[in-house]
Amino acid sequence: MYVMGQSSYTQVLIKELKNIFPPDFTDYEIKIIDVLKNPDLAEEDRILATPTVIKEYPLPVRKVMGDLSDKEKVLVGLGLFFDGPEGGQEAR
Amino acid sequence: MKTLEKFPTGIAGLDEVLIGGIPKGRSVLVTGETGTGKTVLLNEFIYRGITLFNQNAVFVTFEEKPQDINLNVAIFGWNFATLIKSHKLAFVDVTASKEMLTEIGSEFDVSPLVERIRYAVKKVKAQRVAIDNINALFARFANKDSVRRVLYLIEEALKEMDVTSMISMEVRRDKSNESFYGIEEFVMDGVIELELRQGQQQLIRNLFVRKLRGTSFRSGYVEFEIADHGFIVYPKIPAHLISKKTSFKIRKSTGIRKLDEITGGGVPQGHNILISGNTGTGKTTLGMQFIREGIERGESGIYVCLEEPVLQVEKTAMGHGWDFGKYEKEGKLKFITTSLIDVSNDKLLYQIVNAVNAIGAKRLVFDSISSLMSGTMNEEQVRQFLLQMTAFLKSRGITSYFNYLSAGNFGAAKGQLLGAFETSAMRLSSVTDGIILLLYVERGQKIKKMLTVLKLRGSVHDKDIYQYEICKGGINLGEKFED
Repeated sequence: MYVMGQSSYTQVLIKELKNIFPPDFTDYEIKIIDVLKNPDLAEEDRILATPTVIKEYPLPVRKVMGDLSDKEKVLVGLGLFFDGPEGGQEAR
Repeated sequence: MKTLEKFPTGIAGLDEVLIGGIPKGRSVLVTGETGTGKTVLLNEFIYRGITLFNQNAVFVTFEEKPQDINLNVAIFGWNFATLIKSHKLAFVDVTASKEMLTEIGSEFDVSPLVERIRYAVKKVKAQRVAIDNINALFARFANKDSVRRVLYLIEEALKEMDVTSMISMEVRRDKSNESFYGIEEFVMDGVIELELRQGQQQLIRNLFVRKLRGTSFRSGYVEFEIADHGFIVYPKIPAHLISKKTSFKIRKSTGIRKLDEITGGGVPQGHNILISGNTGTGKTTLGMQFIREGIERGESGIYVCLEEPVLQVEKTAMGHGWDFGKYEKEGKLKFITTSLIDVSNDKLLYQIVNAVNAIGAKRLVFDSISSLMSGTMNEEQVRQFLLQMTAFLKSRGITSYFNYLSAGNFGAAKGQLLGAFETSAMRLSSVTDGIILLLYVERGQKIKKMLTVLKLRGSVHDKDIYQYEICKGGINLGEKFED
């Protein structure tokens, strides 16, 4: 996830991002990239605005930009689906 | 008004229009419909900066991919790939990414784009930035406020880093989106508009500086071309700014001794003479003699050759024993030609200025004014063109002949000699310093040629009418014509 600076807002965003996963699902790795510290990476990934989340695995690569509090939209945007009402395993 | 430091763009002719360039450290908006040449202008702004002034650059592209831009500019001979490799140019690629991107809501922090530009500028130590084009930004963000915000932030960052920038924006034909965006009003320091219209046989491109904050520029439309090596802007010459280098005392020989005598020693330096006459009266010969005389006296000449092909003129001159081809090779003579369809007066003027600068010409023959009139220019345009041209020539002290085909000068009876001097030629008379009339006169069973100096500013000249013949070696001015 690309963020701008290390503010309390960044902490909120990290929390929101973690929140998209079912509570018992832990098989993920999140990397936070600060545009201010790594503008070169932002250039490489063509980041236009923050927050931008890039899902690298599983393929295909998907990007979501904007409001992360809407869990469902974020998951659809990233192409992540979890089975069952209370967190099964990822479907694809 | 505080005058800002100017920053030359390096684009041919544009800096003259901008009187030195665009304000340093500021942003200029380039607007125009699709196909008007905005992207080329921005690319050239970048390229000239790097290659002429050693000013590195950043190109922010929203629409065309960097690799496509590299291909597109290659046709002008600009090698962007090399410039990138040598860290003189960096792209900020804001084109749509190949991965699927989902936008949720309309609350974004747009500053990452600004950071990327900042990063690129620092990376290559850029002094120039081009952003092509901001419409894509509007297409990208639904929220107009975030666009305005990002533009504002970009502007602030560019100013802070003291880079000079050109930003393009496409406008629709009806210009409906212009006020909607409302960008240039509060963000930009200058606006250059590009236009395209249909001529008789080709597209005519116009450029117009609408605004240039805190500095002066030339107003009005100027023509430009997108030529093999990029933009050529044809700036108008501001007639009022030019000081004259004319002299009544210094006379320029016409190459015809008797004509020198009746004009009181020749044509005053820096003056222009309208040579009016019917077809075949020898206007061209008179002009060639004037040019040749100059060259033989060490004064280079320009021959604006619109009536006939240069080869024909050279052949005719050779017939008189004058080797114009040799003069040309020696850099003493320069021919100027142009297609008579869609004549661009700005371009023609620019050609003349360049030719004069190239060989330091002191004499000029324009053959002919009437061919301009039969081309695309109307009478008023011709008059304005002449005003500009004569102002320029005077500023350089160049003495000139303007040939004018006057079909009516077929005076037969007494008193009719001047009667047919055309009204349009009369109108041109206010622009010219002198008029020499060449006439056919019917006497007995013969047609004779007559010459008279109708007007010569500031000179006591012979007002008589002389007979003449065109022989090998030029015009042979004979006896006074007695009726």
